[in-house]
Amino acid sequence: MVSWQTRTAKLLSRLTIRQSLKRELSVADMRERIQAMERFFPNVPDDIRIEHEPGLNHCDAEWLTPGAGPTERVILHLPGGAFMTRFMRAERLLLARMCRATNARGRLVFYRLAPENPYPAGLDDCLEAYQQILDLGTPPEHLVISGMSAGGCLALAVLLKARDLGLPMPAGALLMSPAADMTEESTDGSRVSNAARDAVLSLERGDDIRRLYLGEHIELANHPYISPVLADYTGLPPLFFQVSGSEILLDDSHRCAQRARACGVSAEIEVWDRMPHGWQALSFAPESGRAIARLADFIRERCP
Amino acid sequence: MSIQTSEKSSNRGQTFMRTLRQDHAGLSRIMREIDTQAHRLAEDSEGARAILVDAFRYLLRYHHAFHHPREDRLFARIRARDEALDQTLQQLSHEHETGEQETRRLAEDLARASNKELVGECGAELVDRINDYLRHTRTHMRHEETVFYSRAEQVLSDEDWLDIIADDGPDDPITDIRTMRASYPALARSLDEPTSHLGLHRPEHSSSHELRLQMLALTDLYGGLMHEAIDLTRTHFQRLKSVRDPVSLMRTAGTIYADNLRFAGQCVTRPSRWAINTGAGLIVGWLKPYMKQ
Repeated sequence: MVSWQTRTAKLLSRLTIRQSLKRELSVADMRERIQAMERFFPNVPDDIRIEHEPGLNHCDAEWLTPGAGPTERVILHLPGGAFMTRFMRAERLLLARMCRATNARGRLVFYRLAPENPYPAGLDDCLEAYQQILDLGTPPEHLVISGMSAGGCLALAVLLKARDLGLPMPAGALLMSPAADMTEESTDGSRVSNAARDAVLSLERGDDIRRLYLGEHIELANHPYISPVLADYTGLPPLFFQVSGSEILLDDSHRCAQRARACGVSAEIEVWDRMPHGWQALSFAPESGRAIARLADFIRERCP
Repeated sequence: MSIQTSEKSSNRGQTFMRTLRQDHAGLSRIMREIDTQAHRLAEDSEGARAILVDAFRYLLRYHHAFHHPREDRLFARIRARDEALDQTLQQLSHEHETGEQETRRLAEDLARASNKELVGECGAELVDRINDYLRHTRTHMRHEETVFYSRAEQVLSDEDWLDIIADDGPDDPITDIRTMRASYPALARSLDEPTSHLGLHRPEHSSSHELRLQMLALTDLYGGLMHEAIDLTRTHFQRLKSVRDPVSLMRTAGTIYADNLRFAGQCVTRPSRWAINTGAGLIVGWLKPYMKQ
């Protein structure tokens, strides 16, 4: 049974975010509208301390520390937003809740956005944040990387690139509805079958997003750092996907998990019934609390 | 010689604390599974009940039998060394007792309930109790981590560790899938599943599915009209702001009137078009089986 809070959020998303994505809005207009919607998300609770130092070279980033004695665990979180926008308050609150549930410190990276900074700027920022956490002395077995939507794609890309560079792997990865297929062929399966049911995302702007994110590197759409559904997952840590059964990105998670398992990597998927894309961030909905409790369970399993 | 003994007991202390942390990792995996199955009770009462009973049996046989006594021994030593933590650790020990009682009660109630009861009100109450149990257990684990995990290695001496480690129990069976399969077959099978479905995943009847999709399309349609109305209003304001003389005012009023008329037409034709298409689609869908016959 879906809660009334989530039902309301779905209806509002369908009437606002989805409509914005369906229409020919400029990136500036989209950002403006998202900023207006952000007012509905509460601030981070007082017991979470936010610090900015040490920072990153090219983008803003925050450290979130829960008041009740944090452990050695660190969660590196990469927000979503189609590589072009972001819900800053919602993502900050999401990370704060995850940190509180696991007694972990959180690192929130506001990587550079397209179209001003197309690929690979965002990925470089995320990788820099990952490297910095290791350099600060966090053992990789106490580090978990997480990402929502476009952030999920970047989280997978960071893992793949870190592995290719010979960096140590974290204890696990949390992937909330990753947008992991940027290829031009990505127009079948759940992208079609869930096109009407998805309360948030719409395929209409798929080509625009690809073009704006990749900039002059459009020919790289099949590269595993951009479309991790095509990657070789050998050597990656355990992956944990949460995705809704009614969103267009459902197949991205299934395909990534299948490839990961084929490479001998543990990959679990949770398919949630009738949830809107990014429901984990809806702090007022009971399903969000349940999803975060389950993410926290996974973090405790992987970083005891 | 004494340095060697000290190093040995300190290593043992670290190993002991690692075991406790590892136990929490196993416990977290089981919490996730209990959460999954509790929400499936009304849908597949037989299957979910078997897994839940296995999970509660596992908790009683390992966590309550070995893990909590280990922690209680540790709490007792820390309390002796650090009086400031006395009340908190007493509370945590008390939670071990109440937790064990509730685990036992839940296991018994689950085993006793008939399938019909699990689907009805009694099942819903049980799910509420399981949800409370999960919330308490997760909070308890979090408190333990913040309160004593970091303190233990600071305040305890070599002697304390030797005392705590003595008479230690077996390893967590969850780390060995063969043991799990032999002792808790339903739970082990479920833990092996790479995909979990949360919420209902019964296939909907095709006509109700179709109707639902059409209702969503209608919401999209009205959402689109709403946005167009907002855009149109904005454009009208821009136009009115640029009015300089009576002539341009007349011209602007004419344009606004024409645009409004066009938009009003859209508001009428689009929903009616939707209604006709949907109605026809549903009628064809319902008639299809008869037409085949």
